[in-house]
Amino acid sequence: MSAKTAKNSSRAVKVDYLTRVEGEGAILVKLKGEQVQEVQLQIFEPPRLFEAFLRGRHYLETPDIVARICGICPVAYQMSAVHALERILGITVDPAVRLLRRLIYCGEWIESHALHVFMLHAPDFLGYPDAIRMAADHHGLVETALRLKKIGNQLMVVLGGREIHPISVTVGGFYKVPTKAELRVLVDDLVWARDTSLAAARTVAGLEFPEFEQDYEFVSLSHPDEYPLNEGLLVSNKGLDIDVSEFGDQFAEQHVRHSNALHCRLRERGGYLVGPLARFNLNFDKLPESAQQVARECGVTPPCRNPFRGIVVRAVELVFACEEALRLIAQYEPPLSPRASAPVRAGVGHAATEAPRGTLYHRYEIDERGLILNAQIVPPTAQNQKRMEEDLWQYVPQIAGLPLEKITARCEQAVRNYDPCISCATHFVRVERT
Amino acid sequence: MSSAPGPLILCLGNPDRGDDAAGPLVARRLGEMGVIARALDGDPLALLDSWRAGEHVVVVDAVVTGRTPGAVSVYDALRAPLAVPALRSSSHALGLAEAVALARPLGRVPGSLTLYGIEAHRFDLFTPPSKAVLRAVERVARRIHEHCAH
Repeated sequence: MSAKTAKNSSRAVKVDYLTRVEGEGAILVKLKGEQVQEVQLQIFEPPRLFEAFLRGRHYLETPDIVARICGICPVAYQMSAVHALERILGITVDPAVRLLRRLIYCGEWIESHALHVFMLHAPDFLGYPDAIRMAADHHGLVETALRLKKIGNQLMVVLGGREIHPISVTVGGFYKVPTKAELRVLVDDLVWARDTSLAAARTVAGLEFPEFEQDYEFVSLSHPDEYPLNEGLLVSNKGLDIDVSEFGDQFAEQHVRHSNALHCRLRERGGYLVGPLARFNLNFDKLPESAQQVARECGVTPPCRNPFRGIVVRAVELVFACEEALRLIAQYEPPLSPRASAPVRAGVGHAATEAPRGTLYHRYEIDERGLILNAQIVPPTAQNQKRMEEDLWQYVPQIAGLPLEKITARCEQAVRNYDPCISCATHFVRVERT
Repeated sequence: MSSAPGPLILCLGNPDRGDDAAGPLVARRLGEMGVIARALDGDPLALLDSWRAGEHVVVVDAVVTGRTPGAVSVYDALRAPLAVPALRSSSHALGLAEAVALARPLGRVPGSLTLYGIEAHRFDLFTPPSKAVLRAVERVARRIHEHCAH
């Protein structure tokens, strides 16, 4: 398309069915010449009503119900739920249980990040329509992804009872905990996974990244001693520093016509970014030395404001997850009791944990019988929706001179920077107590 | 049952999502008939590790092709590529169709791959499968049982 034509014509970038993401969504970008007129990330996956479904259920059922929200990040849903409910009941878990929770979360990060880095996002950078076509030329890359993913799944099986929708997680701990020997057999695979992740970070750092930086507000948990997984304050690079219980004071969910998922925004400042890039920028000093070093070698150091480099950051987080799993296994002593309990009492509890895609907030209100009165679940993809659209508003003018087909592919790539999980995001019905 | 090794039978689906339970229910019914079948409620990519190159494989899954709920379609998944929309019942980024397609470049193609697709209609969480799908479960289980007996 000539520059003259581009200036005068109206065009629409339409991706009717966004592939290589979880769930069903679409992108619409309307252009007049090289000016962006409209951007919509359309999420048409039907709302799944989990918040309404939880109402009236006993709190002990929650981990098993919320695990069903997502096949990729069920642990995240279970973790946010059990932490929120334990806050209500005043339960403090055994240190070994805390360790096992971090460990099962590492398994989920490994399988999710391996899937996204190699199978979902790498094809964009290497010029393939999908992982299948990529596999013909990059057989080793796909084999690596499958083995990494399998190692993550093995951690989930040992700790959670099965690789998807774990069944051993409960409020107060686990129904069953592993022996030291059951964890030790995973060590060789995890060493391979760590070394492979280090190599993978260097490989993906050599990809070509568009020149695109934004002044993001990065939001993630922050813990004084650890790279965040299960706990911490909610912080940002623009002054946010709150206990998770203040989430509702600072953030607001908003319905938009074109999406079945609520948009979440900071009340004072609008769109923000959660996920690996935010965690990395806000918690770099908590990464193990090997992960920090490979990040520096790869040319990504905080503040990294190019979302396309998120693929490198995910690979660095893969290194972290493997290192952390090895550290935790080395330290593990089984708890005296696999789970703690406390008398039921009415109350409200909040928690946020770091799902592979970003901060996942849960809030529950239960009555004196332990029945759930209200539930609120704010997944990372819902939080990133507004930011994804803002990225397209800013990015498309840079590429508006390209043929429509290439603009379309670049827009998909830009959305995949966020590894959106549309299945997770569509829980738009808020339950209010009557 | 014959002592000769039968096909590897893999039944996919989520037992808690309405008609998506078709696969796991076929596995259970086959178990009652003395036929070993694995129910997989998980990662479709794990299929690639489930079979050995050259092995005869039967997969049972819920499909959405627009036919009447409970209708059974049988596909030779190696002869014709599986149409992704038919398998849209999975919300996974990479599903059964992709797993089968990946087998070829990775050198993990089974000897045969027969897909029994049970037409599904409703996937609501924690709801039972429809009567039409339950009837199809019985038909498919009997058919696979007969296949294994010969």
